[in-house]
Amino acid sequence: MTITDAREALTAEPGASPASGAPIRQSNLWRDAWRRYVRNKAAVVAGTVFVVVLLYCLIAPIASPHDPDAVNFALSSQTPSLEHPFGTDKFGRDLFTRTALGGRVSILIGFGATIAILFIGVVYGAISGFVGGRIDNGLMRFLDALYGLPYLPFAIITLAIIGRTNTWTMMIALSIASWFTTARIVRGQVLTLKENDYVRAAKAVGARWYRILGRHLLPNTLGVLIIAIFLELPGVILGEAFLSFIGLGISPPDPSWGAMAQEGRTVFRSHPTAIIVPSIAIATLVLCANFVADGLRDALDPRTRES
Amino acid sequence: MALLEVNDLRTHFFTREGTVRAVDGVSFAVEKGRTLGIVGESGCGKSVTALSIMGLIPKPPAKIVSGSVVYDGQNLTSLSERKLEDLRGRKIAMIFQDPMTSLNPTLTIGTQITETIRRHYDVPKSQARKKAIELLEEVRIPRASERLDDYPHRFSGGMRQRVMIAIALSCDPKLLIADEPTTALDVTVQASVLDLLDDLRTEHDMAMIIITHDMGVVAEAADDIIVMYAGQVVEHASTLDLFDRPEHPYTEALLGALPQIEGEGIREGRLTAIPGRPPDLIDPPQACRFGPRCPYAGDDSCTQQQPELRELRKGHWVRSAHPASERVGAARREGAPA
Amino acid sequence: MLKFIVRRVFWTIPVLLVVIFLTFMMMRQIGGNPFRQSERAVPEAVQRNLEEKFHVNDPWYLQYAHYVKGVFTFDLGPSLVVRGRDVNDIVRTHFPKSIELGVYAFLFALVIGVPLGMIAALRHNTWVDYSAMFFSNVFHAVPSFLVATLLIYFVALKAGWFPTSGWTTWEHKILPSVALGFGPMALFARLVRGTMLETLQQDYVRTARAKGLRYRRVVGLHVLRNSLIPVVTAAGPLLGFIITGSFVIELIFNIPGIGQSYIDSVSNRDFSVVMGLTVLLSGIVIVANLVVDILYGILDPRTRDARG
Repeated sequence: MTITDAREALTAEPGASPASGAPIRQSNLWRDAWRRYVRNKAAVVAGTVFVVVLLYCLIAPIASPHDPDAVNFALSSQTPSLEHPFGTDKFGRDLFTRTALGGRVSILIGFGATIAILFIGVVYGAISGFVGGRIDNGLMRFLDALYGLPYLPFAIITLAIIGRTNTWTMMIALSIASWFTTARIVRGQVLTLKENDYVRAAKAVGARWYRILGRHLLPNTLGVLIIAIFLELPGVILGEAFLSFIGLGISPPDPSWGAMAQEGRTVFRSHPTAIIVPSIAIATLVLCANFVADGLRDALDPRTRES
Repeated sequence: MALLEVNDLRTHFFTREGTVRAVDGVSFAVEKGRTLGIVGESGCGKSVTALSIMGLIPKPPAKIVSGSVVYDGQNLTSLSERKLEDLRGRKIAMIFQDPMTSLNPTLTIGTQITETIRRHYDVPKSQARKKAIELLEEVRIPRASERLDDYPHRFSGGMRQRVMIAIALSCDPKLLIADEPTTALDVTVQASVLDLLDDLRTEHDMAMIIITHDMGVVAEAADDIIVMYAGQVVEHASTLDLFDRPEHPYTEALLGALPQIEGEGIREGRLTAIPGRPPDLIDPPQACRFGPRCPYAGDDSCTQQQPELRELRKGHWVRSAHPASERVGAARREGAPA
Repeated sequence: MLKFIVRRVFWTIPVLLVVIFLTFMMMRQIGGNPFRQSERAVPEAVQRNLEEKFHVNDPWYLQYAHYVKGVFTFDLGPSLVVRGRDVNDIVRTHFPKSIELGVYAFLFALVIGVPLGMIAALRHNTWVDYSAMFFSNVFHAVPSFLVATLLIYFVALKAGWFPTSGWTTWEHKILPSVALGFGPMALFARLVRGTMLETLQQDYVRTARAKGLRYRRVVGLHVLRNSLIPVVTAAGPLLGFIITGSFVIELIFNIPGIGQSYIDSVSNRDFSVVMGLTVLLSGIVIVANLVVDILYGILDPRTRDARG
């Protein structure tokens, strides 16, 4: 036994002394995180609802007996009933089916843009953080400038440049307008990790930069990235909703939640359902994403948990 | 009458997993102008004891369930929060372990000193600032008047601890509680901080409680020592007597774990570590809490009831069924349990 | 301290230039010669005159330089579609209303959100905390057009307390401001609660209490100071949100603000107006970020020394 053992025995936390004989269980980081996540009831509920909504958007249009594009003024503006669980819009189209269809578009745009944001953000942030020095400085100053462009106008202009507004262009425009924060976060992570001893150790044995980046730095940012997905998603979905609502995004008759809200606006005094349904759909998805993000944050970094 | 008398203090934490009996029947007294050292490993309850004295335990999960803390004739456990606030900083002061995080980073140290003074005395700001500069000089911070308006991040660890000491002394308290004051500091800085505390103590005729897990610190700084284990006092004696003739097996082990360079009784070869770990304080056993780790534990009273704290000789109390002086001739058991 | 402020102000200028440049380049892509594309037929001679006057035939960098000069002399150029109107005119008539809306919304968010967050933190884990956070989460997730329409439906139509559109009397201004401010309010409440909870655990709070400071002071000064820092950081981007969110609110409440003009000019390809308005909005965001940075420096002295 050495001095360190003696010191350890004196100062060890109860239950932690290796000399006590009990084996120290190697715990898997992901398994621990999953267990912590599951303990957060709100996050679990939110995750479940999220999946339910996704399934609804996928399945309902296939399973539904109604044609989402069939205009039939005889059925227009009905309140919810058994035949039409969400009612009908002003054109007589079944809202239950249309909301699901709209959801497909909105969610697709949401995820697509989020992935694009992550991609751009990671590349930009990783390069900036890893290379460091004056290039990092320059890239960050440029980023500061980009922050000066307000979100919606930037997206609007991008769409105007592209010329068309459909699902793919919306994805591009929204992602271009909102990758900045992710880039900053990734750069921050890379900077902190770069100073870590194990990175120095890798460098000391002559590991090449791409190996260090790929093997050491990026996997450790994985947790942050997963959280970032669920943090960016609400912003993008709301972005699409706003753009379509003011008429500069997905336009009718193509369904998206924002476009449906816009259609519902004109009749909402007499028939509020038409605007409320897609809005609640948006709100639900955004809420769930927020709770899931909170749950993930607590699960992946227990230090942030409130005592 | 002693300046501070703690009688059968019990502080329990009511948590979802159960009630943690962090301090379970602790009694001691501190005389005016003397220093008491409290030693023990992490989790033994020494910090909670100190916080209980000040009334600073987190009230929702924790509660002082019984016992009394009498300071200068007043029972602190029955005081309202407002009255306690009047007492803290003024009559009893406390400094903490980590000087890096114990000072507010967004306020100048000048503000943090003067706010204490102006809280307890009705003096104008200028006078408080003058006093603050005097205090900084007293704790040996160079160029005190220039540094008064600096922020904490401009100071080194050792200097921050001195600032903390200055704050603690600002209202001339008669008792200073130092919770691991040197643990977070470099060894060389530790010595100077301890020296400072000693000088200040004599100058201000202040009593001190110094809490630490470091036997070396307590040997130098304390007049009397209590050894805590699993929420209880297991030995209480003057420093000289404790180091000269330790009684409790735990104390012996603590001292045996100290590296020695020279002197009598120097151990040849290895140091001893204490195998095992302290008991879970949520449901402590009805037996001697040190039993499972004690090389002298027998099958008799050690496993059935808790030994009482008894005065073995004048001024030396032990809570053990097998203190050293009763062991003369008794052989050490082979195959002591782990 | 002053050096810090000067340094930050200095840096906004290149940022502004880059923003103008980006907008400029982007607008050129939408491009072409706006005069020729204009629906109103313009006689050749007049057209050539206009082109001369507005440097349309100059190489791009000269156009850019000219435009920048215009920005700094507050001349944002003419509208290319509506003859006889300047971008400045449009700004003068519509912009103040948008600013008013934004300011009221921000104040609402601050005045309701921050105390709400504080109360939730101080009454942690009680029903007050849970309900406050539940509502905050919901309001933050709900798109502002839903909040707006619900407010109009229940408060204006059914109850008849407030008018449903326009922007003249003070009654007109309440609903839109509240609708726009709901999301930010929820954000503030969540942020303040989060940081306060964290701050309350800090060692220096324990030290402050050990000094015998009154709890009110401990919370009011020590805790709040440190808790407001992330709130200030969030306030910057929040302004961006308020600006862009106002488009939607203006649409719903029929407020003749800048939002409508922006949407119209994009549809009409009135590239000069779009650029002017974008630069204006960007300028506001940049200034807002500047103010936030300075406030941050005041609140957290550590950053003053760290900043390059």
